[in-house]
Amino acid sequence: MTDLQLPPGMAALRGELGDIVAGIERRAPYAAVWLSSRQGLTISVDNQEERVDERPPAAGTVLTAFDGVALHERAVGSFDRTPVEKGALGLAHDISVIAGPGIDPGPERRGDFATSMEIPPDTLSTLEKLDRCRDVQRRLRGLDPRIVNARVTYQEISEYAVFRNRVADLGQRVQRVRLMVMAVVSDGNEVRYNWRSKDATGGWEALAYTDGELRQVVDEAIALLTAERIAPGEYTIIAAPIVVGTIVHESFGHGVETDMFLKERARAARYLDKVVGSPLVNIWEDPSYPAAFGSYFFDDEGMLTAPTQIVENGIFRRGITDLYSATMLGIPRSANGRRQDYSRKAYARMSTTAFARGATPVADLFAQVEDGIYLEKWSSGMEDPQGWGIQVTCHFGHEVKHGRVTGRMFAPVGITGYLPDVLASITAVGDDWDMDGGNCGKGHKETVPVSSGGPHLLMKARLG
Amino acid sequence: MFQAIIQALQARTDLAAWTLRHITTRGAQLYAVPAGVEARRVVQDERYIVDVLRHTPGFDGSTTCGTGTVTLLPGDEITAALDTAALTGGLVHNPPHAIPAPAEMPEVALVDPALREESAALLDAAYTQLRQAVAAYPAVRMTAAEFFTDEETTRLCNSRGIDATQITTSMEVEWVLIARDGEREVETFVALSRRRASDLDLGAEVVRRARYTTDLLMATPPPRYTGPVILRDEVLAEFMNSGVIQTLASGAAKFSKLTTWEIGGSVLRGEASGDPLTVWANRQLPYGTHAGRFDNEGLPAQRVALIEANRLAAFTASQRYADYLSIPPTGAFGDIEVAAGTTPAAALLAEPHVEIVAFSWFNPDEVTGDFACEIRLGYVVDGDRRTPFKGGMLVGNVLDALADVRWSAETGFYGDYQGPTTARFHKLTVAGE
Repeated sequence: MTDLQLPPGMAALRGELGDIVAGIERRAPYAAVWLSSRQGLTISVDNQEERVDERPPAAGTVLTAFDGVALHERAVGSFDRTPVEKGALGLAHDISVIAGPGIDPGPERRGDFATSMEIPPDTLSTLEKLDRCRDVQRRLRGLDPRIVNARVTYQEISEYAVFRNRVADLGQRVQRVRLMVMAVVSDGNEVRYNWRSKDATGGWEALAYTDGELRQVVDEAIALLTAERIAPGEYTIIAAPIVVGTIVHESFGHGVETDMFLKERARAARYLDKVVGSPLVNIWEDPSYPAAFGSYFFDDEGMLTAPTQIVENGIFRRGITDLYSATMLGIPRSANGRRQDYSRKAYARMSTTAFARGATPVADLFAQVEDGIYLEKWSSGMEDPQGWGIQVTCHFGHEVKHGRVTGRMFAPVGITGYLPDVLASITAVGDDWDMDGGNCGKGHKETVPVSSGGPHLLMKARLG
Repeated sequence: MFQAIIQALQARTDLAAWTLRHITTRGAQLYAVPAGVEARRVVQDERYIVDVLRHTPGFDGSTTCGTGTVTLLPGDEITAALDTAALTGGLVHNPPHAIPAPAEMPEVALVDPALREESAALLDAAYTQLRQAVAAYPAVRMTAAEFFTDEETTRLCNSRGIDATQITTSMEVEWVLIARDGEREVETFVALSRRRASDLDLGAEVVRRARYTTDLLMATPPPRYTGPVILRDEVLAEFMNSGVIQTLASGAAKFSKLTTWEIGGSVLRGEASGDPLTVWANRQLPYGTHAGRFDNEGLPAQRVALIEANRLAAFTASQRYADYLSIPPTGAFGDIEVAAGTTPAAALLAEPHVEIVAFSWFNPDEVTGDFACEIRLGYVVDGDRRTPFKGGMLVGNVLDALADVRWSAETGFYGDYQGPTTARFHKLTVAGE
């Protein structure tokens, strides 16, 4: 619980929401209101220019009514009482109730929540943030004469939300921050680049870079100038934590979003309590994970957060839900009903998805590789919940011979294969753990902030 | 509120220039699951976006320039918002640049009257049409569909005297087809976006996608293959809109030293051995999904000759990067237009090849052009025999691929792409089993 300072318009409207919900429920069996305001800042500093830009804000009210079969919504880009009440009246007027399953409004719950921070972004002036970016950029740009540009990009997103139904009155502020460094290098003919990003729900305390971390970004960028394309084929690989996180995200993250079950798009629906991978596979989804970029306190449909174990010792246990699919499928809710913003509907979406830590020292993983590839950094991924294919692209991979990284680099490296085969091939799970954050779409739209992670894994996959 | 913001901007003495955009959006959405409609939504949005430009003394005393942006919702306090934008603009010190001057804004076809007048009804009509079209194929089922319509009105004014308005419409449709054979179940996913409902030929798309879906049931593992690869229609549009040309031909990337392309230089990495590549960045493409009378800065729509016979003819550039690079401003990239070849598509398809009809996501590295992208459905084609396969990756480099390609004489329009319907890339690799 916290003393939440909502934006003034949102705070003023909050007191009216109980009456609005009650008004809609005179006609509909279930109603809810969600208020959301997201705003932020992006600062970019490179060798050529500086930018300070407002992140395009998204602020508005979603009025929801259920008619027994379908959800009807009015999305109003305002917290002004008049258009919101007009929207509620129109919504209630248009509803024709049909016999169907009832929506469970959940237990009574009230509370306000806010991200805890040591250095909240709003305690620093924009100039102070700009100067911090300038300082990191100065440290980065001088590290090698082959750097033709060095860019530091800071992003902060402050999200306020209020959810109200007949038994819930919840408010939250989630503060997300990210600092990305990127080195662009050239040998006079070719241009290559490399980056590293730090992120959190939190403040500037999460964004410090050591000199060694900056050095590594530059060294890897320079190595990319002589990187080769990998010969397509099956390889023994060691996947680094953030690559593991991406594999998990695209497979038993997207693949177990239960709106996809309802649409008959998820093969996992036929694998409940069945083996889907090696007994070493344990996968969690946890929107309450402290400080993770994708975390929050309650979802956009008013469900308080808690961890969900998706895969337990290689057996698929349950999916992650939004309100509608959980209702229609008759399965328990998890706090994964999320919207891109007020203008879009809620879907079942991930927050923080991870492969659980194992017991094998990372050095021992490498020692088991006679001839393989170390995949350290991902650049993109795409889900295939029905086909259980994998597409994860890595920015580069290192050759490993006799347990050691040789210095030979391949770029880019695509990972593909049939998901159960890939998960069954896992033979060792590292005792380390790391994660990173980013923005995730459902297909190519509906972007939400997420994080994913895991330990190092020893496995096999097809690369190209 | 628009006039009040203008007056407030005009009253300020600390701004070198400003741009104001008033954007109103009306949208309707329909979501369907196997049992029927899951959700219906109506969306309204209105906002005012202010960009300001300030001249400030740089660290060495020279005149520098900074920009600030702020978005106001109806009823927001104007003075405080403009103070924030001006403060932001005063913090950074970049080389001076201007904002666009008034110019004739071309008329570009952007509006579907039907979408403006009866958007919700069109959603239902499209849903019905899809269901009826799919019903003709008992081997497949549609298990999900989403429909979106939007009408957006933008009025743009700036301190140099631009005052222009544009209205756009759009319709997006997505659907999923499932086919089952015993325990084996497969799907195809389709997402189409157009400015006019009539440009979405849903019936023809269902015919094609139903065939793909049933073919997936017979798909074999991917082959190991290096040789000619055919891309057609929407997949070819995806290839050409994958960001490589858009990035490497942009003034912003040139200024940031991300691209080594030079005006007059070849855009290809090796020797060209296929048809010449000629490309336009086109914001005047009728009903193009990225077309518009003007862009966010107020630069009028152009059809920019970008690449002529494999050589870079121009960079695309906002006013800012145009000033920095001393090149003409073109504004936003818009849609891509590719010159037709001389070979009939039938001739390109006649010899044995692999055709890719669906990627998971064709997303090459936008700086190097390298790609390794998973194949959702492809065919090994030899004469009349088409053997479907799923999985594996198409591996190569966009610039190398474009150096050895033959384009069809036939052209088509795919929302964000106007150009040949068919491309035969001479040598690409399928990383299969």
